[in-house]
Amino acid sequence: MKKLILTVFSISVLFSCKNSDKKDEAETGASTEQEVNVYTHRHYESDQELFKKFEEKTGINVNIINASADELIQKMTMEGEQSPADVLITVDAGRLERAKSNDLLQAVSSDILEEKVPSHLKDANDYWFGLTKRARIIAYAKDRVEESELSTYEDLASDKWKDKILIRSSSNIYNQSLMASIIVHDGEEEAKKWAAGVVENMARSPKGGDRDQIKAVVAGEGDLAVVNSYYVGKMLNSNDTEEVETAEKVGLFFPNQDGRGTHINVSGAGVAKYAPNKENAIKFIEFLISEDAQKVFAHSNYEYPVNEKVSSAPQLQEWGEFKEDTLNLSKLGENNKKAVILFDEAGWK
Amino acid sequence: MLSINSISKSFDKGKNFALKDVSFQVKEGAVCAIVGESGSGKTTLIRLIAGLERPDAGSIVLRGKELSSVKKLVAPEKRKIGLVFQEYALFPHFDLLKNVSYGISNLKNKKQRALEMLDLVGLSGLEKRYPHQLSGGQQQRVALARALAPNPSLLILDEPFSNLDAMLRMQLRNQVFEIIKKTGVTAIFVTHDTQDALSVADEILILQNGKVIQKDQASNLYTKPNSVYVASLFGNTIQLNQELQTAFDCPLNADCCHAIRNESLSINKECEYVTHARVLKKTFMGNTTHLLLKLDNGHQISVVTQDDNVADHIKIGFNSTDVLEFAT
Amino acid sequence: MKPAGSNEVFSIKSRLRRLKRDTNRWSILTLAIVLFIALPVIAIAVKLLEGPGETWWHLVDNLLADYIGNSVFLIFGCSILVLIMGVGCAWLVARFEFPFRKQLEWLLILPLAIPSYIVAYAYAGVFDYGGSLNLILRFLDFEFIRIDIMNKFGLAFVLSISLFPYVYVSSRAFFLNQAGNLLEASTMLGVGEFKSFFKLMLPLARPAIVAGLVLVLMEVLNDYGAAQYFGVNTFTTGIFRAWFSLEEPETAVYLSALLISMVFALILFEKWQRRNMQVTGNKASRHIHRKVGAPLMQWFRFFLVLIPVLLGFLIPVAQLIYWAFLTAHKVFDLNFILLSLQSFGIALITAIVTVLFATLLIYFAKWSSVKGIKSISKLGILGYAIPGAVVAIGIMIPTLTFDKWFINIMDTVFGIETGFLINGTLVALVYAYSVRFLAVAYNPIESTALKVSDSIPDSSKMLGVGNFKTFFKIEFPLIKTGILSAIILVFIDVLKELPLTLILKPFHINTLAVKAFEYASDEMVMEAAIPSLFIIFTATIPVIFLNRLLIKE
Repeated sequence: MKKLILTVFSISVLFSCKNSDKKDEAETGASTEQEVNVYTHRHYESDQELFKKFEEKTGINVNIINASADELIQKMTMEGEQSPADVLITVDAGRLERAKSNDLLQAVSSDILEEKVPSHLKDANDYWFGLTKRARIIAYAKDRVEESELSTYEDLASDKWKDKILIRSSSNIYNQSLMASIIVHDGEEEAKKWAAGVVENMARSPKGGDRDQIKAVVAGEGDLAVVNSYYVGKMLNSNDTEEVETAEKVGLFFPNQDGRGTHINVSGAGVAKYAPNKENAIKFIEFLISEDAQKVFAHSNYEYPVNEKVSSAPQLQEWGEFKEDTLNLSKLGENNKKAVILFDEAGWK
Repeated sequence: MLSINSISKSFDKGKNFALKDVSFQVKEGAVCAIVGESGSGKTTLIRLIAGLERPDAGSIVLRGKELSSVKKLVAPEKRKIGLVFQEYALFPHFDLLKNVSYGISNLKNKKQRALEMLDLVGLSGLEKRYPHQLSGGQQQRVALARALAPNPSLLILDEPFSNLDAMLRMQLRNQVFEIIKKTGVTAIFVTHDTQDALSVADEILILQNGKVIQKDQASNLYTKPNSVYVASLFGNTIQLNQELQTAFDCPLNADCCHAIRNESLSINKECEYVTHARVLKKTFMGNTTHLLLKLDNGHQISVVTQDDNVADHIKIGFNSTDVLEFAT
Repeated sequence: MKPAGSNEVFSIKSRLRRLKRDTNRWSILTLAIVLFIALPVIAIAVKLLEGPGETWWHLVDNLLADYIGNSVFLIFGCSILVLIMGVGCAWLVARFEFPFRKQLEWLLILPLAIPSYIVAYAYAGVFDYGGSLNLILRFLDFEFIRIDIMNKFGLAFVLSISLFPYVYVSSRAFFLNQAGNLLEASTMLGVGEFKSFFKLMLPLARPAIVAGLVLVLMEVLNDYGAAQYFGVNTFTTGIFRAWFSLEEPETAVYLSALLISMVFALILFEKWQRRNMQVTGNKASRHIHRKVGAPLMQWFRFFLVLIPVLLGFLIPVAQLIYWAFLTAHKVFDLNFILLSLQSFGIALITAIVTVLFATLLIYFAKWSSVKGIKSISKLGILGYAIPGAVVAIGIMIPTLTFDKWFINIMDTVFGIETGFLINGTLVALVYAYSVRFLAVAYNPIESTALKVSDSIPDSSKMLGVGNFKTFFKIEFPLIKTGILSAIILVFIDVLKELPLTLILKPFHINTLAVKAFEYASDEMVMEAAIPSLFIIFTATIPVIFLNRLLIKE
């Protein structure tokens, strides 16, 4: 029995040594093998491809730990100075802002990033940078709703949409960020009223993901669904012909075009405060912003590229240009907690 | 040889005592029976000796070595005590040979010694059998062989015959104690059956409610019990209370308690103290007959007799020498 | 009459003296294991002392009623469904002979191989607009009826259908092993089939049934994936919300404490209902002689038993297989096979370690002479009551402190730079799994250990053999089926485990459950089908094996 404990122990020590060896090498710079440790919330095949490309190009190994941003942030907080994380990638700006305010990121000075990332899509002090954009848009039943009836997010709270709106749970970060943007633009009072109005108008209690909302519109449970643009792109290009047909039945609308523009969010990256491989981390992010990488993001995952030199996927181009809300995304993080509280108070499940 | 000194044990922090201040000694080579009703603390007592329970007070000394005290405990496996459990507790996944040789520490003669022990208990040739293939009596003997194999300083048997039917019981009782006598091991056995105790024990210890009531040689216990309780353990006993004393017209020392054994009562014979009685009910029991008698003064007693042909009106009496006297 | 000396014998002084006498190394080792296992809980309890976060009252005002209401609803809803399916099927297969009984007998255990969140995904897919049901109905030229499963009723259904085997297994074991004689007696008394079942078997099987039910309810209260997906607010989703959305671990810890007290209430209830049931070394009872019945009844029984198998296994698996065909070219590659092997290896290592801990805990406590130790040792299994994510955080608190201390020592004293010894390695992960699943290993081992009468190991000791040797030579062979079942059960649970793995897994290692969740959480449910099927496949083999084992027993 003791032998068994010993074996298990030594196996795990081996594992830990493997990690630490690498870390030592990276720090002393004398290593033949360079690496960068990436904590990421993104888990797409296309990302794997990109990481492989980066390895090929630079010879720097990419180690991935995949988990939700919240969990990664908790993990980094607890690991503190010893955290092996070099880069944190999340799928929304709010979480990056949280990581920054929890003192988990460091400012990066990089001319490349400065030049290629528009200022509202990155942190004012260069703690994090957007990689890809997603717009929060409205999918509507073409047969029941005229495009002219649609206008703004605020309008979703008006009585005419009673029992017509489909939107997912308030625990979803995209909804939280949308709410945060409304808090910034309209004030807390109005935001709360808005949330209560939307809850009043919901066709059913929130459940499922964004795709489920679209399916529910087509099934006739409601008329409008608030969804992320890239899910629509994915549905339209799904392997499942049913999904494609479903997605083709809805019209897409970009709200607030006459005002501040459609709410967008980014998937973004920042360099960890205690990054053992800081140089590699910067190289890594710079690579993700490069035209080559941005093309991969844009074409395989139906996200809008941050790098303005890269054009969107043909699918997205079909939907046309749109005016985006240029609110600095740091604001979303700052107001995230308030958004959750207001949601709860409004009874948004 | 074995010395139990003021042992107390409570399972509920002193509210009730399973054993209270129990002391006695067992001589080398003796067979001692512990007799008591269920709940009298007899099983607790042997578990304490075996080391399977821990005393709250007092000490246990075996061959000059302190086994249990309030300060120190010797682990059961280091006590060199053999214990035969009531349910035998044979190892179901071992054959008899492995069962018996299990406790033998001498590696060389292990098999030989085990075979010897099996032979001793009359089970040679069955060493490849498994416990579930044996009868109850055979299992009992295997358990005995197993306990004796490591040559224990003391052998304890817990209710050794309670799981067997009457015929087998007698037969096995004699066999088992023959073997024990042959090996000369000091033995303690627990029973609720005084027949068992009387027939094979050198000494008997009576336990009641966790206390030693009497300890003596077997014959002494029968003739000189120190309480009505002890007397009644060894046969039907009638307590001579004031009413019965008047009925038989035998005034006895009022400071003491008195009883008479059923077998000392004689029917239709001349005795010192006699009274007339009417038979209310006769129950034929084979070799005996139970009588329910109504005495002259209206008092009712039950009596057992060998005579199955008793008249409806009888004379019943006893002699003063047969009266048992106890201090209150 | 109180003996004069009793005061003295039980004075504090003599009690302490005896405590000192009775404390042996086993007592200390038991305490050490309990402490080790309870460390995350203690870490969380310490957090509890820091007071709730500022949003605690916000939660109490706005959400707590919902959490309690839904959790209570799930407890009752799942209890009813699970009891009907679990006990009903157990009785049917134990009492009656019907076509395909043998096959159905083990098929009924297979839902255990599917994590409930995957069942949830599959059913959402079945009932979805454009889902399988829709397609079938359209093919048959029927109007599509939309059944909304994504609500608390659906959640109760999904959880019950994936967890009822716990009750099925425990009650079937009772019916098979212990009911034979009693049932014969009952039949001899001219009592009818229905009455025998309701008046005799059900009350007798109650401890076995409730033991299974408590396991089910613990899993129900722990569920995160399915509740989250169906949009039902429960304590567990609340914990994640408080911890991650509101960024208040303190508040999450308070919710956990409430959840844990609910589970405690369940455990106490189980103890209470067992209070009069003496656990005895069961003399082998005659097996039930199965009734055959008229052909029509036979097929009727066949269909009754088939329903849970269909709902809990065949339908979700069929849905997953359909999806797997659509996505195989994207998901299935060499990396995926490697990933499966890793998953398999981690589950196996964890199962062995956890079973080792459970066995040590049970036997050390047994060998300890101190009275209180046994009750204390039971604390070791409470990790099961704590949601995986909370266990993970609970593990990180103390182990990080240790790691940082270790790095510091190595650096300052030896001048060696090292990485984390525990965090981000398999040690932390396996440790967390052990904490979480100790109860899963503990129960089958304990119940088989209870069947071995104390006099057996006692005999061994009286023959001069020490505790460890007695264990290996006598007890281990007698409880090895229990140990094997424990290994299998932990193996399956680890394979399915999600939230804890997400937080603690090392860099270079991934598991099937994590992979499936990653896909599903990114609304790529179809892609999640292949890893899900692999989990199911890897878990199915040991489940069938376990069934063989239980039948043999």
